Amino acid sequence: MLNSSPITSWEGATAFFNWAGTGGTVFWFLVMVVLCCLPVWVSYKAENAAEEEYGE
Amino acid sequence: MTPEEITLAFEWSKRINLEIYYFWTTAIMILIHVGFLMYEMGASRVKHTLASGTKNILAFAFVIPTFYMFGWWIYLAMYNGFVPDFAAGVGGVPWGDYMGPNLDDNATGVFWGAFTLFACTTASIMSGSVIERIRMAAFIILAVVLGSVAWNLSASWGWHPSGWMVTKWGYHDTGASGVVHIISGFFALGVLINLGPRVGKYNADGSANVIRGHSLPMTMVGLLLIVTGFFGFFAACLLYGGAGEFGGMGQWQNIYGGSTTLSAFCFNILMSVAGGMIGGYFKTRDPFWMMSGALCGVISAAAGLDMWDPSLAFCIGFAGGVLGPIAAGLLDRLKIDDVVGAVSVHGICGMWGLLAVGIFMGGYPSHAEGVPPISFSGQFMGMIVMMLIGFVPGYVLSFIFNLFGVLRTSDAVQQVGLDVEIANDAYPEKIKS
Repeated sequence: MLNSSPITSWEGATAFFNWAGTGGTVFWFLVMVVLCCLPVWVSYKAENAAEEEYGE
Repeated sequence: MTPEEITLAFEWSKRINLEIYYFWTTAIMILIHVGFLMYEMGASRVKHTLASGTKNILAFAFVIPTFYMFGWWIYLAMYNGFVPDFAAGVGGVPWGDYMGPNLDDNATGVFWGAFTLFACTTASIMSGSVIERIRMAAFIILAVVLGSVAWNLSASWGWHPSGWMVTKWGYHDTGASGVVHIISGFFALGVLINLGPRVGKYNADGSANVIRGHSLPMTMVGLLLIVTGFFGFFAACLLYGGAGEFGGMGQWQNIYGGSTTLSAFCFNILMSVAGGMIGGYFKTRDPFWMMSGALCGVISAAAGLDMWDPSLAFCIGFAGGVLGPIAAGLLDRLKIDDVVGAVSVHGICGMWGLLAVGIFMGGYPSHAEGVPPISFSGQFMGMIVMMLIGFVPGYVLSFIFNLFGVLRTSDAVQQVGLDVEIANDAYPEKIKS
């Protein structure tokens, strides 16, 4: 569906991962950063809830 | 050295290095079975611990000789569909010259070994979902059919350079999201429908009870060992020293003969494992699903391990880690008692893995003349075929076993514990469940 190939031929190909050398890699990098932050937030909220229920 | 001597030394080195490489991938893959053993025993209640462990090990032990008897031949000969190519299958005939020690052939034994371990892994995936109520004899036959027949057929069709799904549809499944994981997940689903839930799992009003295994720490360590073993599994998915420059010692190749690198695999295995763990934690904050999420992640990225952008592999793994527990919850509502979540972790995440390649990996040039490029339709149709090759034999065979009353242990034996059928004690001091 999405044309993500950075190469048109395997002859002489170097970096061949999706969207190599284009803005696509930056986009997925930023998505990854967001996905890493979400669980930290979830964990922080869960710990706060435990502190409120059981903490001094 | 003369040029002839240099050529001979080079050929010797190539042959021996190939042998060493696959020998050790096979050894590392056994860690998957160490992991499955711990995982399933930990997920069992005390009274079923040894029955679960024994069953798991017997799946491993029975698939090895049956893969030797007919499994390897099926892979080599059945790439066209249901009509075998007897000439291509010669190398897999058990009484032939290649299927034993032969100074003229350093390759067959180690390739056979690696493929045997793929088969054992496939059979063991089903093993965890049916614990605590399946009968041993029925289970052994089901494991053999899954590991030494169904998997081989799917691999021959979709994981072989001449497989008809590859040459007709451009099906791409480098790390076996479909040919191992969908097959085993859907085979397990077929068996679970006929096997029914454990005693006490569901109430009369339809609500489900949570039945916890006796050692979550054992299960967690087991899951991490499975991940470790998958490094051997994926390494064995590569072809060593493919055709190319330097007399056939060019770049690594994927199972279809396409160029890739071991580095590509390393990037994407680690990123998708981490994505799956974080995704599983994000969705559930349950350590069981965090660790199963690691499997969900790597299974989701497996089909495209050779080409993913590592950030995208992380995101696909994260989505798999979220998808796994959601799918397990839906199955529970349908009263499918899948103890370790094999259908969702392997079957559903395997489906996501194949579709992800179809969605994100368009446009790549084909490696071979006449082979279509990767497409969403090719991946989608391939996914349907994989679901059927897994589900149909699992459902039909278990239906027949159930008809004859040899599939499920009685409720009374389940209540006292399946370990009464085992000639030993897991915990002699009688830890109470």
